[in-house]
Amino acid sequence: MATNTQNNPVSLLNQPVVSLNECLDKEFTWIRKRDGRIVEFDKSKIYEAIFKAAKAVGGDDRDLAVELANVVVRYLAQCQPKEIPSVEEVQDAVEKVLIDRGHAKTAKAYILYRDRRTRMREARSELMDIVEDILVETSRENANVGNSPSAKMLQIASAASRQYYLSRLIPEDIAQAHQSGDIHIHDLDFYGKTLTCVQIPLEKLLANGFDTGHGYVRPPKRPASATALAAIILQSSQNDMHGGQSFAAFDHDLAPFIVGASEFDVFQSMEALIYNLNSMHSRAGAQVPFSSINLGCDLSSEGRMVTKTLLEAYEKGLGRGETPIFPNIIFRMKKGVNFDPKDPNYDLFQLAMRVSSQRMNPTFSFMDSSFNQPYDTEVAYMGCRTRVIANRHGEAVSTGRGNLSFTTINLPRLAIKANGHIEVFFQELDKILDLTARQLYHRYTVQSHLKVRDMPFLMGQGLYLDSELLKPDDEIAPAIKHGTLSIGFIGLAETLVSLTGSHHGQTVQARQLGLEIIQFMRHTVDRFSEDYDLNFTLLATPAEGLSGRFISMDRRTFGTIPGVTDKDYYTNSFHIPVEFPISSFEKCQFEGPFHELTNAGHISYVELDAPPIHNLEAYERLLRHMANCNMGYVGINFPIDECLDCAYRGVIANECPACGSTHIRRIRRITGYLSTVDRFNDAKKAELKDRKPHSHMKEGSW
Amino acid sequence: MKVRIAGISHESVTDGPGLRSVVFFQGCHHACPGCHNPQTWDIHGGEEIEIEDLIRRFQITPLLSGFTFSGGEPFLQPEAAACIAEYVKSKGLNLWVYTGYTWEELLTHLAEPGFQNLIRLADGIVEGPYRKELRDLSLPYCGSSNQRILLPEASLRQKQVVFWSEP
Repeated sequence: MATNTQNNPVSLLNQPVVSLNECLDKEFTWIRKRDGRIVEFDKSKIYEAIFKAAKAVGGDDRDLAVELANVVVRYLAQCQPKEIPSVEEVQDAVEKVLIDRGHAKTAKAYILYRDRRTRMREARSELMDIVEDILVETSRENANVGNSPSAKMLQIASAASRQYYLSRLIPEDIAQAHQSGDIHIHDLDFYGKTLTCVQIPLEKLLANGFDTGHGYVRPPKRPASATALAAIILQSSQNDMHGGQSFAAFDHDLAPFIVGASEFDVFQSMEALIYNLNSMHSRAGAQVPFSSINLGCDLSSEGRMVTKTLLEAYEKGLGRGETPIFPNIIFRMKKGVNFDPKDPNYDLFQLAMRVSSQRMNPTFSFMDSSFNQPYDTEVAYMGCRTRVIANRHGEAVSTGRGNLSFTTINLPRLAIKANGHIEVFFQELDKILDLTARQLYHRYTVQSHLKVRDMPFLMGQGLYLDSELLKPDDEIAPAIKHGTLSIGFIGLAETLVSLTGSHHGQTVQARQLGLEIIQFMRHTVDRFSEDYDLNFTLLATPAEGLSGRFISMDRRTFGTIPGVTDKDYYTNSFHIPVEFPISSFEKCQFEGPFHELTNAGHISYVELDAPPIHNLEAYERLLRHMANCNMGYVGINFPIDECLDCAYRGVIANECPACGSTHIRRIRRITGYLSTVDRFNDAKKAELKDRKPHSHMKEGSW
Repeated sequence: MKVRIAGISHESVTDGPGLRSVVFFQGCHHACPGCHNPQTWDIHGGEEIEIEDLIRRFQITPLLSGFTFSGGEPFLQPEAAACIAEYVKSKGLNLWVYTGYTWEELLTHLAEPGFQNLIRLADGIVEGPYRKELRDLSLPYCGSSNQRILLPEASLRQKQVVFWSEP
C-alpha cells in the first residue's frame, strides 16, 4: 500500500493481504461499467459517494471518508485478485465496509442512495421500452389521440414526463400509491405544467378582442368571424391546458354578434365552427380540442337563432354527413324556459331531441335538480362531465373557472382488502382519502407557482377568473384558487359486490351501503375544503385510461373474484354495471341520488339498441324521467354506424344494408365524448362489448 | 293457454312510438325473402310457455308506452295473442301488432276465433309482407314501402283504411 498517495496503512480486515502488484494491475486501474465497458478506475468516486452518504446523516469527516474508500479498495483487491470489478461489486464492497466498520447510519444512507439510483436507471430503461412500444403503435389510452407522428412524439414526451414527476417531484408515499394502483393521478404527464380545464369567457374575449401571441385580434363584426374566432379561442386555450375547453353559455355569448344577420348566414358560420372543431389538430398537433358548448336557455331572438342553427348544422353533419365528434353540445334544460310545451324555448328542446336521436349529441343538463337549482341557469358542464360552481374564494360562477386536477381512488381494492369488514373498509377509505387530498394539494402547490407566462393565453389573456389582475411574471395562485381539486372514484358496483355480495342494481342493502360510502366521501371532501381552504369536490370519474388499469393490477394480486375482478374493466363511478339487465326506469332511479353527492361532476346514461329516430316520444319520456330522478347531467346512448361509401346511418351489423359496403365507421360515446370505435382502448372495447341496452332481455332465439 | 314465442325485447324504440316492450311470436308462413328474423319462421321453434308465465316476465315500468307484438306472425296464434293483448290493455298500455297479412286479408278472417278480438284491441297495426324490392330504410317502423300503419278501430268503423300518422 505504499504506493497509495493517501497513505492509510491500517489493515482493517482480517483477511490475507494480496500482493501490491495485483492490486495495482487489476483493481486500481480498471473497472467494468454496467454497460460492459472497461474504463479507468477512479477511487475519488468511492470517496465522494461515502462522504455524500455520511453528509446525508449529519457527518462531515472527509478524512474518514478517504480512509474508508481505501479500505474498500483493499477489500476488493483481496476478494477478487484476478477480476476487474464491476460497479455493482464495488458498491457491495462499500456497503460491507461501512457496516463492518460500524457506520450503520452512513451505510443506510448509502444503500438508499444506491437504491434510488437503481430505480432511476430502471425508470430510464423502462422509459426506453415505452418509447419502443409507442413507436410500434400509439397508445390508445386517450380516444381522442390519433396515430400521427406528432401523436407519437406527444406520447413519448408524456411517458418521460410521467417518469420524471413520479421519481423526482411527487412525495414517495404518494408516487407509490399511484404506481401500485391505490389511486390514479390523472394526467400525470401534465402534473406540474398546467391545469385541467376551463369554461372560457367567450363574451368578454369577443367583445374586447385578444392576442394569441402574434398580434391583436379585433372584435368580430359578423357571425362568420365570431365563430371563426370562437374556434381559435378554443384552440389557443387548449394549447395551454390538457383538459376540456368549454363555452358556458354559447347562445348568450354569441348573440350580440349576429344581430341583423340572416339565419342562413348564421347557419353557415355554425357549420364552419363544427368543421373547424373537427379538423384543427391543435393539442401538440395530435388532437383536436376537447370542446364543449352549453346552450339552450337564452331567450333573445339572436340567442335562440344561435341554438337553432348550431343544432341544425350539427344535425347535417360533416362533408359526407358523418356525425361530428366535436363539439360536445350540452343542452341546458330549465322549467319555464324550455322544459314544458308552454315554455318559450320548448321548440329548441324538441329540436335538440331530434338532433340527439340521430347523433347522440346534444347531451342534456338539468338546471332544476336540487343541487343546480340554487344557481339558476349558471351551472355549465363539460363533455367529460366536469361541473365547477361553488366557490370559497369568490362568486359561484362557471365562466373563468375549471378543474385544477383530479385523482381517482381504487374503491374495489379497498373492499377486497377489507374482506367483508365494512368498518375496515371505511377506515382504509378514510386513509386513502387523506392521502389523495395531500396529493391534490401537493399538485396545487406546484401549479400555483406557475407564472402567467407559462399559460400565455389562458392567464395572459385573462380567461381565468382574476387572472386579468396579474402581470406576466406573477404566479397564478390568486387566479387558480377559484378552481377545484377533485377526488374521484371508480367501481362502486364492484366495491359493493365485494362487501355485500350484490351491487346497487340488485339489492336494497347494497344501494343503502353505496349511498353511505359516497356520502362519507362527500362529507370528507367537504371537510378538506375547510381544512385546506380550497374548493375540494367529489367527482364521478370519467375513467377512460383507468377502466382497465386498476382491475388488471387487482386481478394479478387478488385473483379472479366473481363480480369484482372477472372483467376487463371496473364499472364507471357509481354506474350500474353495463352488462346488468335492468330497465332504464330503475337504472335512473338507482343512479339519480349519486348526482347530488358528486358535486365535481356526474353523468348517467340510458342505453338504447338503436337510434330512436322518429321516436321523440320515447326520448322525451326518458329525459323527463332522468330529470325526475334528480340527475344533473345525462346522455342517451345508442350505436351510430355510418357507411363511409353511401353515407347510410343506422345500426349496421357487418355490411351496409343500403349499399353492401363493409367500410363502416362506428361511433360510440366514451367518457362523455363521442369517438369512433377504432380509437377505443382495450378495456373500453370490452366494456362496449358488454354494454347492454335496456332491451337486454331479448330472450330466446335472438 | 300456451303461446309459442321467439323472445321478448323489454325496451325498444324502433317498434312503435315511445318506449315499448316487444313480444316476438314464433312461427310464420309468409317467408318474405330478405326477412330480418327468419329464425322465427319455424312453428315448432322458439319456446312454448303458459301465458301467465310470459306475463310474469314482463317489465312494466312507468316509462313504458306500450307493447308491440311482432314475430313471427302474431295472427298465427290469434287466441293467445288476444289473451295477452287483454292483459296489456288492462294495464292501460298502448298496443301495436305487426302482421305479414294485408288489412284486406285480415278482414276475411274476422270470423275466426281471436282474430277480431286482437284487431280491436290493437291501437295500431303494421300490415303487409316485407318486400325487399320496396325496402326503404328511412320509413318509421316499417321495412318496405308497401307496408302501412293503420288504426284498426277507426278503419273498421269507417269501413276504409285509416292511417296512423306521426305525431
